[in-house]
Amino acid sequence: MSGPSVLSVRSLTRHYATGAGPVRALDGVSLDVAAGELVGIFGPSGSGKSTFLMLAGLLENPTSGEVWLAGQRVSHAGADLDALREIRRRRIGFVFQKANLIPFLSAVENVALALEIADVAPADARAHGRRLLAALDLAHRAESLPARLSGGEQQRVAVVRALANAPPLILADEPTAALDRVRGRQVMEIFRRIAAAHGTAVVVITHDPRSTDLFDRIVHFEDGRMCAGKVEQD
Amino acid sequence: MNLALKDTLHAPTRFALTALGVAFLVMAVIGMIGLYRGIVEDALLIIDRIDADLWVVQGERAGPFAEGSAVAADMDRRVEGVPGVADVRRFTQFSQQFSFAGAPHRATVTGVDVPRDDGRWLSLAEGRWLGGSRYEAVADGSTGLKVGDRIQLARDVYTVVGLTRHMVDSAGDGLLFVGINDAAVIARRRTSEEIHLARAAGTGTSAVSADASSVAQDSKISAVLVRLDPAADPARVIAVIQRWGDVRVMTTGEQRDLMLNARLWKLRLQILTFTGMILVITAIVVSLIVYTMTIEKLHEIALLKLMGARESVVVRLIGQQAALIGIAGYALAVVLAWMIFPLFPRRVVMLPPDLAQIALVLALVCAAAAWVGIVRASQVEAREVLS
Ligand SMILES: Nc1ncnc2c1ncn2[C@@H]1O[C@H](COP(=O)(O)OP(=O)(O)OP(=O)(O)O)[C@@H](O)[C@H]1O
Ligand SMILES: [Mg+2]
Repeated sequence: MSGPSVLSVRSLTRHYATGAGPVRALDGVSLDVAAGELVGIFGPSGSGKSTFLMLAGLLENPTSGEVWLAGQRVSHAGADLDALREIRRRRIGFVFQKANLIPFLSAVENVALALEIADVAPADARAHGRRLLAALDLAHRAESLPARLSGGEQQRVAVVRALANAPPLILADEPTAALDRVRGRQVMEIFRRIAAAHGTAVVVITHDPRSTDLFDRIVHFEDGRMCAGKVEQD
Repeated sequence: MNLALKDTLHAPTRFALTALGVAFLVMAVIGMIGLYRGIVEDALLIIDRIDADLWVVQGERAGPFAEGSAVAADMDRRVEGVPGVADVRRFTQFSQQFSFAGAPHRATVTGVDVPRDDGRWLSLAEGRWLGGSRYEAVADGSTGLKVGDRIQLARDVYTVVGLTRHMVDSAGDGLLFVGINDAAVIARRRTSEEIHLARAAGTGTSAVSADASSVAQDSKISAVLVRLDPAADPARVIAVIQRWGDVRVMTTGEQRDLMLNARLWKLRLQILTFTGMILVITAIVVSLIVYTMTIEKLHEIALLKLMGARESVVVRLIGQQAALIGIAGYALAVVLAWMIFPLFPRRVVMLPPDLAQIALVLALVCAAAAWVGIVRASQVEAREVLS
């Protein structure tokens, strides 16, 4: 690995208090992701993968531990989540199992919205959104509302939206779970390309063993802990 | 891009129906207030327009509108002699049923002192003012009469020579102006059958029964209208006339006060209560609509926060949507009111200050509802996208 870590997670722990006692959803995870690296997170259900993504994505505070982005400490137990919006806006792109497109906006508008939120002028945002969609073979769907798109198309639009502001980090939680094999593979290949072409660090949680060949590195989660990871090169 | 507008245009039918619902509520508010204004304006019409400083009426009575009144037939000549009086006119008014073209009609016969009263205080829509010869009438358009129509009142046939617009009494019956002497004849010659009919008709019975039974039988003049010299002291003139003992003198202000606070008090109170009720209902419904729109978008709001949108983006989405509903509802309400209310039997008066106040209240309601929605949206957390 070369260069500073885009994402650096130190001894991240998250406990939830439930009726049946405390749940250690995440229990001292440390992980570094470098620019251009595509990391796969595997693990059984309830092993803390989504919790990890939530903490790394600054959507929730850890019970203890720290999250660093590009050498800057951004999140810790007492961090002000609302103040982290600014960082999410410019530095992190999210993709989830559901595309979560805004139903009353067309594909290109959904992408342009992400740009406008980051203060790009509306006309430029739209033009750039169109270019990004075209790059993923979605030019002919630019004006369609999400309801008119297939599941695979919706998810690709969601990916385009996540990378619209060229964030250094993309976090994806089971982005292919709702797609068939071919479409799932397509989306994973996009992540691979973005990582290689733009030096984006991409972390993907997945259950799908068929795309393991695309990852630079795979880590396994179990009971809130990270097990031995191994590097796989294609 | 404007998210509020995009969302609105995404479901135009729904927006149209919502705006229409708000519009009907606002229209009801406009209608209630307009009805109130109309009733007050109609009731004060004669009092305000007839251009009299003082009303000389029957002693110990609050005539001629709040109570029946009759003064001596020569009262005008007595009043004319009082220092400070510029001119006098005799006046009488009573409800009258008559048949025209085979159908029963109602009108409020108003006796005016032609030729002394030149009618300059009212504007004619058509025809001419009473010329001073007998058996002529000027009718309000709301009676259904036209220039040239001939109607029988008492034993005589009258010709309509002019038409007014919107000249009605406090019950909404159109006015029918005739010379004061003709009016006296009509009042005297009303047959027992006509009195019976008028009583059965319900409205205006107080005036009718008062006319028929309890006033001095020798006179059909209910009041003498006095215009004062500009230099005259009203209090002195009033004192001089009231010293006679058989009459009471009221100012125009007192007549207005009697009309509004004695004759129309219950009606006004009722209309104002209903106006208040509709306002409260409107406020609740509009608040619910705006709040529901916010709740429906909580997922999108969480997504906006996930993408790092500033709070202002969310505030604008909710605020602008509330404003859209309010503006569309109000504009539609004004257009509907303007089209529909002229068809109502009683006048609905839409005054710009009233419309402005309604707009202000609606804006406040929308702002309050949007504020509640914004507070709710501020509690949404970005990670709720995942739930
Ligand atoms: N808000 C919460 N309150 C209480 N417990 C929680 C909460 N969020 C997660 N957990 C618990 O933490 C543990 C880890 O959950 P997490 O969602 O991270 O698992 P996961 O690895 O993503 O599972 P899956 O593969 O099914 O998505 C689970 O036992 C879960 O029940
Ligand atoms: Mg999960």
